[in-house]
Amino acid sequence: MDPRHEELAALSALDMLESDEKRVLAGAGLADKDLRGLEEELRLLGAELGLLVAPVDPPAEMKKRIRAAIRSQGGGLLPRLSFGTLIAILGWLLAVVAVIAAGFLWTERTRLSHELDAASKAIALVVPAANASEGKALTLEEELNKLRQDVDKKEEALKSQIESLKKSEGEAKDQVAKLLAEAKAAEKRNAEIDWKITMLTTDVWEYRRGVMTTVWDRLRGHGMLMLDKMTRLESGQDYQLWVIAPGSDKAVNAGVIAVDKNGAFQGEFKPTTPVSGDAKFLLTVEKKGGAESPSSAKIFSGG
Amino acid sequence: MTSDDTPIEVTDEELLQKAGRGDLRSFEQFYDRAGGHIFSLLCQMMRDERVAAEVLRDGFASLWKQAAAYDPERCRALPWAVMHLRPQAIERMRVLGRRSRVVDSSVLDQTTPLMEAGDERLDARGSELAVALKKLPADQRQLIEQGFSRGLNYHILAESLEVPSETAKTNIHRGMLRLLELMKGAA
Repeated sequence: MDPRHEELAALSALDMLESDEKRVLAGAGLADKDLRGLEEELRLLGAELGLLVAPVDPPAEMKKRIRAAIRSQGGGLLPRLSFGTLIAILGWLLAVVAVIAAGFLWTERTRLSHELDAASKAIALVVPAANASEGKALTLEEELNKLRQDVDKKEEALKSQIESLKKSEGEAKDQVAKLLAEAKAAEKRNAEIDWKITMLTTDVWEYRRGVMTTVWDRLRGHGMLMLDKMTRLESGQDYQLWVIAPGSDKAVNAGVIAVDKNGAFQGEFKPTTPVSGDAKFLLTVEKKGGAESPSSAKIFSGG
Repeated sequence: MTSDDTPIEVTDEELLQKAGRGDLRSFEQFYDRAGGHIFSLLCQMMRDERVAAEVLRDGFASLWKQAAAYDPERCRALPWAVMHLRPQAIERMRVLGRRSRVVDSSVLDQTTPLMEAGDERLDARGSELAVALKKLPADQRQLIEQGFSRGLNYHILAESLEVPSETAKTNIHRGMLRLLELMKGAA
């Protein structure tokens, strides 16, 4: 673990870093699991110092004021539920709705069957007297047919609802499969990334406050450059970044860097001819527009 | 840290978990136990009781919203609250311009010292931490205590204590690592 990153983690545990230093630490933490672990341990330790603070009574009525603040922030008196909890609740709600719907449909089916049975019995009673009251029997038969049609229609509706539910279930499964595939692909991409993070400071007096951080993709040969607190240059000058391939002493141009009024820069870079692997980096001061090869005005060098 | 109407066996962690499930009474009981420690810390950071009370009110209101995410396996309740409230206080300091202002040494001298081992208000973990802190060299301990209590960044803290910035950085770094090592040994 780089001791400079370890130092930043210790300072971060007491919230002592400024935003640019936090960015450097976050960048380094991306590539270093041990650093992330140490940072977490130190952060917990820093917070535990709160156990040693001698208590002082807060103002009276503070509880009332906190309750009022909770209400005014629109959260009501119920805490916000986590996404996972909401999904779980939604799942349960859907299951409950499905059970209620199934119960309702079952009851309806039973009721219609009973009506059908009752109608059949009524017809059976009526048949002996059919000759005497043919008109009445016909009416009952019509009633029975109507009931049968009703049952058929409801059965159709029920089938269609079941089909629709099956379809929704299938779509949800497809969606889940798609998300899982995307997550796997992202994981794979992540595994393929091979970052190298370098933070450089300088002994050149005029630039002593400057910090240069590079995040270099060893496989793809491009990276991200962050500069901070750089000295303002004269009007005919520019900063220029160079990348040196492993085992080589030739610096490859990676572009002219324009820092803002605070002496900061953040952006991507790529050498003009491909370089991969454990490259080194060089920042020089050149004439406006850049140079073909680095001058002797080297500000940062290393990696 | 227990209030009169709370059974002693209910821990801060349990109270915070209940609060996460929407139990306001438990959340208020947790406030009764932790509020004094946090208010004391905020007073030292803000150097203004009225502003400290505002941060305490807003901070606890936001803790109520976040309580559902509290995980007692990862962290104890009071440090968890400190971890959430201290950055809010630092943000308020930044807004008020107090984060980047050098603090007079006479003000730093008034910093209420952290409780030492043997103080009956400390629980077992607090006592271990106090013992470990006491084992650090004085310059490391002073930077860590002042840094924690005052909420300054290391440049300003170094300037306030009139020590070179690099020395302050190195001492905080060494001190925190040593403290971690000692606490791991104590666990």
